[in-house]
Amino acid sequence: MASGAGIFFDGMTSTRHDVAVEAAPDALRVRSADGTLLAEWPYAELRAGSAPGGVLRLIRNGNPVLARLEVRDPELIAAIDHLADTLDQSGRTERRNRKKVVAWSFAATVSLVLVAIFGVPALVERLAPLIPMSVEHRLGLAVEAQVRAMLDTGDRGGQPFECGLADAEKPGRAALDKIISLLEGTAGLPIPLKVVAVRRTEANAIALPGGHIYVFQGLIAKAETADELAGVIAHEIGHVAHRDGTRSVLQAAGLSFLFGMLLGDFTGGGLVVIAAKTVVESAYAREVEAGADLYGVHLVSKAGGDGRALGSMLERIAGTIEPGIKILLDHPQTQQRIAAINAAAGPPQGKALLEPAEWAALKRICG
Amino acid sequence: MTVIDPAAPVAPTGMSARMPVLGGANVPAVRFTGDAGAYWRLLIRGAMRLAITLGIYRFWLATDIRRYLWSHTEVRGDSLEYTGTATELLIGFLIAIAVIIPINLAFFVAALSLGSFGEAVSVLAFPLLAFLGQYAVYRARRYRLTRTVLRGVRFYQDGSAWHYAVCAVFWWMMIALTVGLAYPFAKSRLERFKMRHTHYGTLPGRFEGSGVRLLLRGLPMWILTVGPLLFAAVFAIVTVDWTLMVEAVMREGGDFASRIESVAPGFYAAIVVAIVAAIVSVAMAVVLFPVFQAMVMRWWISGLRFGELSVRSHLRTGQIYGAYARFLLYGLLFLIGALVLAAAGAAALYLFAGSLSQSELTEIVWAGAGILFYVIVMLGFSTIYQATVKLSLWRYGAESCELQGLAALDQVKAAGAPSSAVGEGLADALNVGGF
Ligand SMILES: [Zn+2]
Repeated sequence: MASGAGIFFDGMTSTRHDVAVEAAPDALRVRSADGTLLAEWPYAELRAGSAPGGVLRLIRNGNPVLARLEVRDPELIAAIDHLADTLDQSGRTERRNRKKVVAWSFAATVSLVLVAIFGVPALVERLAPLIPMSVEHRLGLAVEAQVRAMLDTGDRGGQPFECGLADAEKPGRAALDKIISLLEGTAGLPIPLKVVAVRRTEANAIALPGGHIYVFQGLIAKAETADELAGVIAHEIGHVAHRDGTRSVLQAAGLSFLFGMLLGDFTGGGLVVIAAKTVVESAYAREVEAGADLYGVHLVSKAGGDGRALGSMLERIAGTIEPGIKILLDHPQTQQRIAAINAAAGPPQGKALLEPAEWAALKRICG
Repeated sequence: MTVIDPAAPVAPTGMSARMPVLGGANVPAVRFTGDAGAYWRLLIRGAMRLAITLGIYRFWLATDIRRYLWSHTEVRGDSLEYTGTATELLIGFLIAIAVIIPINLAFFVAALSLGSFGEAVSVLAFPLLAFLGQYAVYRARRYRLTRTVLRGVRFYQDGSAWHYAVCAVFWWMMIALTVGLAYPFAKSRLERFKMRHTHYGTLPGRFEGSGVRLLLRGLPMWILTVGPLLFAAVFAIVTVDWTLMVEAVMREGGDFASRIESVAPGFYAAIVVAIVAAIVSVAMAVVLFPVFQAMVMRWWISGLRFGELSVRSHLRTGQIYGAYARFLLYGLLFLIGALVLAAAGAAALYLFAGSLSQSELTEIVWAGAGILFYVIVMLGFSTIYQATVKLSLWRYGAESCELQGLAALDQVKAAGAPSSAVGEGLADALNVGGF
């Protein structure tokens, strides 16, 4: 029977007891220097606590107090380890458990990523139509305030952010209103549109939830005909009709929740969260854009304009688009989009949406 | 059976430093016995597992790290024991998200309902989360203390976490309002609160660090870092005529710059002064941060008391500088290595992606590679930081301790019960670490 020295803490006080440890075949016995039996622990109930190398810190399972027995004699440690099956001195059980943890966590990660890529869009697809227009309207107001603050950098030499307010710009605003009422009348949307031209140099336009559409000054400058501009606005109306803004808000919320839960970051501000969201979002933004293109082409054609104009507009601005702000031209495959647009558009009707004078006024809407 | 001779030394051979002679000033009362290599291995393995589990493994890694640090820290020859488990942390986190999800949802919905209610809610959101964060910090400390066992007796903490959160939020606001001058008082008040409610068994803890003393020691550093900014502000107020300035800004027409130049010739000088001040201030903050950290740590450790037991810290500032120097060196080497590997990977990917016809697939592949690179770099830096700065703070902090009245530790009766890990979970979910 192996035996040796040990240090025993009875769990009642912090007093250190220098003890003799007997690794008897039936149980581990701890005796004080004068031979009093301090503890008798069955091997089946032994567990090792975390301890520095070379020290075996024994704990009895189910013990109501924190009694500890420390053994440093390597031979005694080996003897106890041999007798107690539950004791995991080699760490094999611990390693096996840990592998299980890693494997299942990995599986959970994979399934959450799959939910993010396939599950969230599918869920949003079902949920978006259920959201009442009044909620979308409020959402639009909240988003608009933020988007406006983001876009309005304030560096315009004293001019207001919105175009068409000054007297000289009023005819341009009237021409824009004409295009919009034409398109809106044809579209028959459940909510009224609020379209504004704003002073931003990018050739771009954005649709927000709740029927807000921002047309950038740079886009009006790039457009050569009223139909081209109408094509882009009709594309944005497509986003409004399909409620894509609401969808993307729902999607962003769902994704930051999913990735945030994994990464323990609920504010969703972590770069990984943002990057992961961007990848997933851009994967299904394609379909959304294609849908808006199709809607826009049909809308312009129905309103009496040239559906192909959207394609020629896309082609012109494709080379100059700046990365960063996501909108009309989110993705590089412009040629595919143009082909789809041309296939969907009927033959040109030869009738422009605006008179040449009106178009000239619209080109000057931002002064 | 071997009969032990009571007179013989108990420590087995080879463990000569196990029982420091009482009163022997040369033997350190607190020792750190860990070795950096094992700690590096633990961290690197953990980082790899974190990467493939997108962070789920963090509960296990945190537990491993604590087990390692605790068990390799000896107080008078007896090592600490961390009895917490990863499962407890995971459950704490799950409870925390059950609490936080409804709160976040409520904020989201409230922010949509505009008007005064929505505004009030979005104004309230930040202090409320700050408050919850401080609550979490206190509860997390309770968890860690009740999982810390020394000589068969656990530490524990009582006191109301809500009460602590109110005090903490108040003091952090004071710190903000006084540009940091209130920090020593905040620190001493909050430490007093924490230590007053900290117990080792029946031995009550307390804190005796003086806020005034910390303020006096830190004042030169405060002047060097905040001083330039204050000077720039005063300079701007004195040299620029602000009423004329506001008029000039409001007036329409003409070149903005020349309008301002005409009314306030000192304006550009003030801007230059402000930029220089900001640069000096940031440089000072970077250079002095280790000094500050060492000073606060020395002051904090020296203020700790448990009954008759008192602590004095002889932490040297140079040790903290050394830790940061190692962090910068290893970080730089790691970054160079990572960039070289990334360049090689990008070249390989370019050749491979060139053969892909679908442009969207290429885009996703590139974005995925970018995320992977980012994750590796962030995990690498966090690992290096843990293995250099964090480990050094722990090791040097522990080794710098000189204990007086050690006999107080000998007759402590066990008390206290383990607490739940909800605080840890909340702190994790709210991103408020803290020790
Ligand atoms: Zn679009």
